[in-house]
Amino acid sequence: MSIEKSTKAARGTAQCENTNINLLKANDFVADIIKKEMAKTNTLLVNITSSAGSGKTTLMQKTAEKLKNKLNIAVMVGDLETERDAERIRETGIQALQIVTGGICHLEAQMIHQVLDQFDLPNIDLLFIENVGNLVCPASFDLGEDYRVTLMATTEGDDKPKKYPRMFLTSDMMLVSKSDLLPYLPFSVEAVTKDAREVNHELEVIQISSLTEEGIDKWCDWLVEKVKQKQQV
Amino acid sequence: MHETSIVNSIMRTLEMEFEQEKLNKMKAIHLKVGILSNIEPRLLHNAYSAYHITNPGYHRVALHIESTKLKIQCEVCNHITDVKNYRFICDNCERPSKNVIQGEEMLIHKVEFDD
Repeated sequence: MSIEKSTKAARGTAQCENTNINLLKANDFVADIIKKEMAKTNTLLVNITSSAGSGKTTLMQKTAEKLKNKLNIAVMVGDLETERDAERIRETGIQALQIVTGGICHLEAQMIHQVLDQFDLPNIDLLFIENVGNLVCPASFDLGEDYRVTLMATTEGDDKPKKYPRMFLTSDMMLVSKSDLLPYLPFSVEAVTKDAREVNHELEVIQISSLTEEGIDKWCDWLVEKVKQKQQV
Repeated sequence: MHETSIVNSIMRTLEMEFEQEKLNKMKAIHLKVGILSNIEPRLLHNAYSAYHITNPGYHRVALHIESTKLKIQCEVCNHITDVKNYRFICDNCERPSKNVIQGEEMLIHKVEFDD
């Protein structure tokens, strides 16, 4: 156990208050409000996380294309700058809202709560949060989501789950994306699954390609099932 | 960027928790952060120093950070395992477990005030 020592000398008497306050209490308080809002309208909230460039936006486009006749879907997408991702998603005909974080490397519950009134929630079955591409801090910020899904692209290398354990520990599903590139890459789906399940034995895994549509039906069936469960509550 | 958000969150949380009069007497903040919290104590200290540039009111308040190791407790045999190499598996019965009892925390566990 390493303890950082203060360089300041103790002076006079001190009064101590032992607390156990979560550092992110302010965030978690807002995340709870979001959860309650979503429960009122039975909207399923799914937080999509991954590194930059692993195919989150392409997956959002493909998912919208496949499910838009079955479910009412909307997306909020976080990036440091530009409206590019929201524009790409809107092209598929669903509502998409860009959250520009202006340099912040993750989305916080407050940012989600601020834009919720832009959505007609009673008429939305499934709301995606496409998080900022980063496997580190998005893991710590609860956004009030029902499920957290992490994309793990074959181009990233199969050693990531142990390098970014908190993200995989807090996720419900890992999508091994860009599976169409497997023949060209030294990437083992078996190895990545084993590593990820050593961190989180309950993690569900689906291998997908938004290009060839491998695994997309399985992914969409999973979403439809979770939406159904939410609406039965 | 991440550390800056966390420092802001700590100070906002303390301002929610304590009266301003008390905060004026605040002397030290003690944090307990787990290895899984993605908080690097040195970087957090740097971000805390930077915070004082825009918020000079708290510049006398010391920050102490204690890191904690990762431990899980098996739901079946109750054995406590020190997790090594992020293998969340019980040392005793070899069953997988997600029951983290230490190492995930991000806590303000003590605040000191001048009398």
